[in-house]
Amino acid sequence: MSTVPDPSIGDELPRLVIEAVDAEKMKTMAALLGDSNPIHWDVATVRELGMGDQPVNQGPNNLGYVMNMLGGWAGGAERIQEIRVRFLDNVFAGDCLEAGGTVTAIGDDGAVECDVWLARDGTHPVLAGTATVSLV
Amino acid sequence: MTSMTLTPTTDELESLVGRQFPGGTYAVEPWRVWLTNDVIGAPQRTDGVAHPMFCYYAAMAGLGISIDEMFTLCYASADDGPMFGECDIQQLRPLEIGATYTVRGEITSAVRKQGTRTGTFDIVAFQLEVIAPDGEVSSIVSNSFIFPRRPQ
Repeated sequence: MSTVPDPSIGDELPRLVIEAVDAEKMKTMAALLGDSNPIHWDVATVRELGMGDQPVNQGPNNLGYVMNMLGGWAGGAERIQEIRVRFLDNVFAGDCLEAGGTVTAIGDDGAVECDVWLARDGTHPVLAGTATVSLV
Repeated sequence: MTSMTLTPTTDELESLVGRQFPGGTYAVEPWRVWLTNDVIGAPQRTDGVAHPMFCYYAAMAGLGISIDEMFTLCYASADDGPMFGECDIQQLRPLEIGATYTVRGEITSAVRKQGTRTGTFDIVAFQLEVIAPDGEVSSIVSNSFIFPRRPQ
């Protein structure tokens, strides 16, 4: 596994870029979850709901990208103790996303608190929250 | 064509609080882990540790009703365009690939909101525990869904 970081408060976590969200992978996830919400694969429904003209990514996928960013930094996603997020906006097929975060506190027990986020084109926030990661 | 479900009264909405889910089990099957890692771009691990998103997947799949049934319970359907609200995942112990977990949980809050742009919507929150074969709680997942409602 990768090395464990030695962070300081204010450190920015290494960013993770998803070049283009794949509509086909939304279909796979819909099948895996048994999620019948048509916004994940049926463009006609997305248009009818006034949500644009591209399938909408599943919220958990967006959270998964942030976990990948945290796990890549911390030396493994099993080090994530807690993550709490709000879904601020939809992510659509073809979107370029960037996941990042900032260290906000470091406990004596090795638990590191972070603000985390996911943004479209690096600027438009689509998910934001906090995470606790154990580095011991 | 799609049509929105009738909006519940506030009494009907509030009566959801405390409703326990049937619960059930969830097996972290290797093929499911592989496909999920592929979808979200996570590394394919060989040490038997599942991605922490499986805390969420196990909780949702093991609560004993489908997502559609969850929507119906909340007086909504997928056609109404329900969305995620907040999600909190505590990974107390990583889930293990190949293990089967027990899930239990209940609805913890149900409130009506009025947005200037979005109109009336309800937020229904619930908490689920994912329990390992040895009886220890591996994960606690707290989620909420946002249900757009038609004007009354």
